[in-house]
Amino acid sequence: MTLIGTGVRRKEDLRLLRGQGDYADDIHLPDATWAVFARAPYAHARLVSIDVSAAREMPGVVAVLTGADLQAAGIGAIPHVVGSSLTGADIALKNRDGSERARTDHPPLILDRSRFAGEPFAAVIADSVAAAKDAAELIEAEWEELPAVTSALAALEDGAPQLWDHVPGNLALEAEIGDEAATDAALAGAAHRVVFDSQINRVTGVHMEPRSSAAWVEEDGRVTVRCSGGTGVVQMRESIAQTLGLPVERVRIVAPGDVGGNFGTRNATYPEFVVIAHAARQTGRPVKHLVERSEAFSTDYQARDLHVRVELGMDEDGTFLALKAVNTSNIGAHTASYVPLNKGIQLMTGLYRVPVAHATARAVLTNTPPTIPYRSAGRPEAMYAIERLVDLAARECGFDPIELRRRNMIPREAFPYTNPFGITYDSGDHIAAMDRALELADHAGLPARREKARARGKRLGFGFANYIEGTGGIPRERAEVTVIPGERRVEVVLGTQDTGQGHRTAFAQLVADWLGLEVDEVTIRTGDTDVVLAGGGSHSGRSLRFGSIVMDEASRGVIARARAVFAALNGAEAGDVEFSDGYLRLADSNVVTHLFDLAGAAEASDDLPEDLRGPIAAVGDKVTAGLAFPYGAAVCELEIDPDTGAYEIVRYTSVDDVGRALNPMILHGQTHGGIAQGVGQALFEGYAFDEMGQNVTGSLMDYQLPRAGDFPMFTTDLSEVPATSHPMGFRPGGEGGTTPALATCTNAVADALAEYGVRHLEMPVTPLRIWQAIEESRG
Amino acid sequence: MYAFEIERPTSLSDAVSALKAEGAQALGGGQTLIPSLKARLAMPEVLVSLSAIDEIKGICTDDEGRICIGGGTPHGRVAAELKDSYPALASLAARIGDPAVRNRGTIGGSLANNDPSACWPAAALASDAVIKTDRREIAADDFFAGLFETVLEEGEIVTEVRFPVPQAANYQKFAQPASRFALVGVFVAKYEAGVRVAVTGASESGVFRWTEAEEKLSSDFSAAALEGLSHAAEGMIGDLHGTPAYRAHLIGVLTKRAVAAAG
Repeated sequence: MTLIGTGVRRKEDLRLLRGQGDYADDIHLPDATWAVFARAPYAHARLVSIDVSAAREMPGVVAVLTGADLQAAGIGAIPHVVGSSLTGADIALKNRDGSERARTDHPPLILDRSRFAGEPFAAVIADSVAAAKDAAELIEAEWEELPAVTSALAALEDGAPQLWDHVPGNLALEAEIGDEAATDAALAGAAHRVVFDSQINRVTGVHMEPRSSAAWVEEDGRVTVRCSGGTGVVQMRESIAQTLGLPVERVRIVAPGDVGGNFGTRNATYPEFVVIAHAARQTGRPVKHLVERSEAFSTDYQARDLHVRVELGMDEDGTFLALKAVNTSNIGAHTASYVPLNKGIQLMTGLYRVPVAHATARAVLTNTPPTIPYRSAGRPEAMYAIERLVDLAARECGFDPIELRRRNMIPREAFPYTNPFGITYDSGDHIAAMDRALELADHAGLPARREKARARGKRLGFGFANYIEGTGGIPRERAEVTVIPGERRVEVVLGTQDTGQGHRTAFAQLVADWLGLEVDEVTIRTGDTDVVLAGGGSHSGRSLRFGSIVMDEASRGVIARARAVFAALNGAEAGDVEFSDGYLRLADSNVVTHLFDLAGAAEASDDLPEDLRGPIAAVGDKVTAGLAFPYGAAVCELEIDPDTGAYEIVRYTSVDDVGRALNPMILHGQTHGGIAQGVGQALFEGYAFDEMGQNVTGSLMDYQLPRAGDFPMFTTDLSEVPATSHPMGFRPGGEGGTTPALATCTNAVADALAEYGVRHLEMPVTPLRIWQAIEESRG
Repeated sequence: MYAFEIERPTSLSDAVSALKAEGAQALGGGQTLIPSLKARLAMPEVLVSLSAIDEIKGICTDDEGRICIGGGTPHGRVAAELKDSYPALASLAARIGDPAVRNRGTIGGSLANNDPSACWPAAALASDAVIKTDRREIAADDFFAGLFETVLEEGEIVTEVRFPVPQAANYQKFAQPASRFALVGVFVAKYEAGVRVAVTGASESGVFRWTEAEEKLSSDFSAAALEGLSHAAEGMIGDLHGTPAYRAHLIGVLTKRAVAAAG
């Protein structure tokens, strides 16, 4: 039986459930010190002076570092990966005048100016957290507060506070894609025109394990940083080494075995990682750091915060003619990432046939924490815009929302399909996924359920959305597969970084299947620059997509080498050796050896030719170009209590095409988590600032995270239309729960409230907002 | 957290004397104080834990038929033990926080803290409860004195809360979506002498009695009796989760629902 497609139980779970996880802070370092950071109290202020002398005198304090100290030590700005119009698989975005996107310097400790509340300006290294905190309170800083701006649209206005001298008007990028003239002409001639304008709320990742790190100096003088991020240890090493001003050979990155949540908001280098690495080098003692929850709320990289204005033109029959969009991304105080803006803008037409389109992508700097990719970067925003727009178009122009979609969706036979921005979707059967989701959600029974809800005093809302993604990520991946006879196992070294996705199980399934072994006989090793030479971590659905290709190549290499060794030991030709189920056989003979025994014999043998000595191992190393296109459809059904605005999600259905399911159980689990995260943004989570730029949702008392009790049991189903863009048919999985959820939930709310004349409610759609809308409709 | 000393007296009298020390602060279940300490918002020199004092824990019925809950009794015990004798109280206790909170947080600590969004103040006020301390007895009507304020003196410990059992009662809680404290909570209790309605979560002055509703309900204990009656938005809390108008509206809705549920 093939292991691919089997819901093998996760190797990880028993250990995690027993509290035996290996998280970043779970390390004892003799003679360790702890770092505590002094943080800017103002969202925008000039740092006039800083006096750390009293802090340095405190008992237990080992060092106090300021931005100036770091600068004097040769530490530079964090080299965030901002990309360019010349790199990557996404649509090229550059300014109208042809210039590239702005890049701002992000020093690990600010030098002279805070640009968001909570930016670190000094670090205390002490024998205990308490001593470090006591000392940090004695740091005297004088600030000259400046006006702050936290909204991207406000930051673009004349007279808005300016963050960076070299970025006039706070506009870091303004790019156009598509055909404006043709789009305007098509819109002018359209029988129906519908406009949707919306601010997609800012959210934050809220990792269950707050970010933590440790650094120490090895005996050979290298500095090791134990931390994790979704770009993988190789990229983290480059980033941290460059900031420290060291060659990469002088830095080692070790990721902890387990990570308590990432979702993308761990994927840019954090200032604290660099500061503790420097502190360990300066003091000679290990340094640990763990952010507290309130610190995480105000200083983690954040996400979304995109304003969209979209317009759709249709003919009298509802055929889409043109789409025009302006997306304005709030990228925060530093240019940490343009990925969400880029990923979203190129998919603004969703999975509909739109002949012409034009989109403007704007990135704006504000006095807020930088925003970076977060579960399905940019795609949930794009799908929200198009799927809300289509629902509005149906309602306002008298079409059935499902039939309007069906009329305009890209049919299976039209693939590969190039959208009006130039992105080519590889393959799929989107209409089948939609129909399957509607069937599972019992769309046919909707009228009866609506009446039943009404009889109970509730208003039922049915919200449907399609989705498509265009995933990419760092395109190089490397696998090294080695047979270890003494332990009767195969080790796979890979450049991905599991942050809860179950790679140890799923990837072992693949290699075990190919080598004819048990899942438990294959172990996956990642997260240490001493063994991982290349690879891109885990983000943008890249791990299986790229990992499978290089693990396949390496596994084939292992088999080829095993054949050669077996042939040499038996005086035969490699061509006469058969390999199946983990055994090597000489054709037409009884000579049979298991792979592990062969590797043991090879190790013990002195007779092998030079080129066949050493372990049975092989490497796969490849750069895979282009994007991948998972897609699917989802339905949220909720009931609203019009007296209070409270709602209950009563059904949630998701159909996700993953091309080919490696481990369906893990995929369903990923979908569940993804749904919670997407629904969370739509209905619960909204990161907010006051007019001074201070956050007003700085704890779980005010920032509503989704909880299990907020949801019904989910109905999730997988569709498997093999991806033509992947040699094994895989499409990325795991973000599909999130991508359509912003739209399903808001469409459901609008559906439920249609009788009150409510057109749209902004996210998060809280009971308060619903009640206010109903009240307004009642005058 | 700043450094502090901790004492764990096993008798009420030891606790009372320990609290006389300079900078001493009582620690009940710690559900408010511990987070405050962790955020360095409080700086007590000595914490006097009340959790080892058996004499202020437990639930009994006194000669007048009142339910007497020791000040150190955690919410979880109330939820488990009062299902038959005062179901509205048990139901209120069962909806505070999560199991960990209910196993640590105490009724005495909650009343002494008087968080404007806490549930217990509504129950005490609607039930005309008597709050007994190490030095006196205080009627609930006299006990609460505004946001996070009560008439308790320095070092005074809530030892018991006595609840007259109503003929009918119900507590309706509309949870603040993030914290799950009461955005608005309404406790309705019907006694021989009349109906009492206490509202928590809503007012800028903390828990209060909605006397207009009490009057209507005392003559006709039905949701219909409240038709046309609404609470003013003035003086209600406005924040991220609810405007004053929303809270005022919820008071009306929840009061009707409480009456309907109380039967």
